[in-house]
Amino acid sequence: MRVVIAEDQALLRDGLQRLFEDSGHTVVAAVDDADRLRGAVSEHEPDLAVVDVRMPPTHTDEGIRAARWIRDAHPDVGVLVLSQHVEAAGAVGLVSQGGFGYLLKDRVLDVGEFVEAALRVARGGSALDPQVVSSLVGGDATDGLAVLTEREREVLSLMAEGLTNVGIARRLVLTERTVEGHVRSVLMKLDLPAGEDAHRRVLAVIAYLRAAEIQR
Amino acid sequence: MRLPWIVASGISILLVAAAVLDAVSGRSTGLAAAVAWGVATFVSVGLGLLVATRRRGNPIGWLLLANSGVLAVVGFAESYARYGLLGHPGSLPGAAWAVVVVDRAWPLIFVGVTAIGWLFPDGRLPSPRWRPWALAAALSFAGLVVCTVLEATPFGDPFADVPRPLPDVSDGIIGVPLAVCALGSIGAIVGAAAAVRTRLQRSSGIERQQLRWLAYAAALVPVAVAICLLEVAVTGDDGPIALAFGIVALTAVPIAVAIAILRYRLYEIDRLINRTLVYAVLTAALAAVFAAISLGVGVAVGSGSTLATAAATLAVALLFGPLRARVQLLVDRRFDRARYAGLQAVQRFLEELRAGRAAPEGTGEMLAEALGDPALELRFRLDGDVEVDAAGRVLEGPDPPGRMRTPVRRGGLPLATVVHDPSLAERPDVLDSTIGAAGLAIEIARLRVEVRRQLAEVEASRARIVTAGYEERRRLERDLHDGAQQRLVSIGLALRHLQHQVPDPAPLDAVVVEVASAIEELRELARGVRPAGLDDGLGHALRELARRSRLKTRVDATDERFEDQVETAAYFVASEALANAAKHARAGSVAIAATRRNGSLVVQVRDDGIGGAAPSEGSGLAGITDRIAALGGSVSVTSPPGEGTVIVAELPCGS
Repeated sequence: MRVVIAEDQALLRDGLQRLFEDSGHTVVAAVDDADRLRGAVSEHEPDLAVVDVRMPPTHTDEGIRAARWIRDAHPDVGVLVLSQHVEAAGAVGLVSQGGFGYLLKDRVLDVGEFVEAALRVARGGSALDPQVVSSLVGGDATDGLAVLTEREREVLSLMAEGLTNVGIARRLVLTERTVEGHVRSVLMKLDLPAGEDAHRRVLAVIAYLRAAEIQR
Repeated sequence: MRLPWIVASGISILLVAAAVLDAVSGRSTGLAAAVAWGVATFVSVGLGLLVATRRRGNPIGWLLLANSGVLAVVGFAESYARYGLLGHPGSLPGAAWAVVVVDRAWPLIFVGVTAIGWLFPDGRLPSPRWRPWALAAALSFAGLVVCTVLEATPFGDPFADVPRPLPDVSDGIIGVPLAVCALGSIGAIVGAAAAVRTRLQRSSGIERQQLRWLAYAAALVPVAVAICLLEVAVTGDDGPIALAFGIVALTAVPIAVAIAILRYRLYEIDRLINRTLVYAVLTAALAAVFAAISLGVGVAVGSGSTLATAAATLAVALLFGPLRARVQLLVDRRFDRARYAGLQAVQRFLEELRAGRAAPEGTGEMLAEALGDPALELRFRLDGDVEVDAAGRVLEGPDPPGRMRTPVRRGGLPLATVVHDPSLAERPDVLDSTIGAAGLAIEIARLRVEVRRQLAEVEASRARIVTAGYEERRRLERDLHDGAQQRLVSIGLALRHLQHQVPDPAPLDAVVVEVASAIEELRELARGVRPAGLDDGLGHALRELARRSRLKTRVDATDERFEDQVETAAYFVASEALANAAKHARAGSVAIAATRRNGSLVVQVRDDGIGGAAPSEGSGLAGITDRIAALGGSVSVTSPPGEGTVIVAELPCGS
């Protein structure tokens, strides 16, 4: 996998670069602001761009805006946005389009899961941080989810994080068949289209949660 | 340039010479008149010299000098004639001619004053149309002098026996021209009065004040003359009263003219006229009362009684105060409408003020009305030479064009400035007395404006402090996220990298887990300082807050954006209320609403708990209430026992 990294803090940028290289991937460019990111993406057409949300000059949402630009200008490049905290507002909307990930920065410490999520995004899948998902699914507020069992809700959350059936099975230590059953049940109960395409299924789940979120 | 001095010196020499002649001849009759004449001439010379040297282009100075010159010549001629004909007969040449001057040149005495009337104050006729009449007047005077000199009638006392040094001209020849010239001369004097009147009618500003001086003096002359004649009639001779009022009659016009030209602001002519009227009427009224009572009591208890005089004096003394006030009011009402109306308006306003029906801030409008200048402004002067209006707004920049400033002082301190129409300065007495009467109201208004401004200043600074506090929170949150937290992530990554290079990577896992939980704690800390979600708006942050709450929480919040400090304050109200609901109220569910209503952001948090919460309870909410108040808002807590708690915060947020 060929990766472009955009992160303004040198230490963290180097750390990310080493992380990808240790996992056997190629970092084709590591830059420190949004403009250089645009240039690097245009130049290298990587599989994945890892983007920090806050970058110079204003340190507010440069990363999110650059991510949108990449989605429009280079739809084949996966974008993984890293944030210091949960800023769900812009992120969920982007994730529901596919080829996009939104993770808290400290997820990088769990190298295995992080690289897996990065690969998923590079292949056109999605990755949504568990904290974002739990804030979408969590609480009693999302009344529509009351019809689900505890286990089904767990499965729904992992679907929202972007995991495939295999991934879910591995995470929950279940057989793939059992997971398939739960997934079918969830989709039926929430009246979502049951397709074979895992990506589209995830997107449907996120779109559902997002709609519920907006109604609140 | 030296000419005025030379003329004045010549006149002075004549005066001194006349006095010396009188002293040498031992003159005894008509001495009072002679002294009055001398004093008047001296005053007139001095004033003429003053005006002629200070105002070179203005012929009025020369007219005054000419006038005093005539007086001096006539006075000297009399002394000369008395010495040469009565004291030491035959000792002086041409003494008979001096008698001609004394006895027959009298029309010249009126020429100077008449000319001043025609030409005052700028030395020009009121208009070119007056020119032929001025010429006729001059010719009349000249003709009159020629006729009186040639007239065959014998000289008057004390020179009745002196033979005329001129050939006699018969009455048949001189009668008609004499009558015509005399009439013309009277016409010239009437014309002078008419000129003053015409100018007074169409004048304004300085010229009007100058003319008022002249008119005042002119009105004084006949009164003074009448008093002189009264003394002569009563006592049979001219005494000290005739002397004093003779001087007044002869010097009133020159003095008034000099003041008008040189220092028209020296005294307030209007107040002078006003006071003269008041005291004239007062004196007459009190004299009448005195006469009536002493006469009445005298008839009752016998004339010559001291009782009558005492009673009359007592009555006059008692009457003086109230009568003076009444007469003043009467004179003001009749002759000084502006002053009367202005003071009445101020008086009414002060009564309203005392009764609490008017606010001191209305003083400016009241003055505008009282002085009849709708555009009049009252500007309060605060410390640091700042000028503000009644609403406390700072007034900067130049005054409106064509306005005039009059400072208001009390106890030497500048209180305010009245910016008014320049025409009001024509009546400085009205302006000053009206402003003076309103002084207390102005002072109260100024104090109130000052206090209000200071309060506003304190409120603004409190709001700034709170805003700065929120700003500080935002900075702190940034620092935590972008500084410490990032660094910890880097350390974690470095550790992970290290794991690839050591033979036994397992022990490092525990360290990385520690780092991860440190990051998590830091994130929680930063959220407490200021939730990053506020960057995306209040509605967003509140929904985020609800999601994290243990309680079933519904949010109905506008997605509208407000100023940062408003959003932050509103967020912390909701956050604190939610925490209280979870901690103390044993609530099951909470509803948070945030809407804009009437220029305010209204945040309402309602729980279904046990209620009974006191507003002071929980210092968290108290501190937040203070901060909301600092931003001009308010917080109310309604918490009846058993019915849940409703907390409503209102924050002004512009329109």
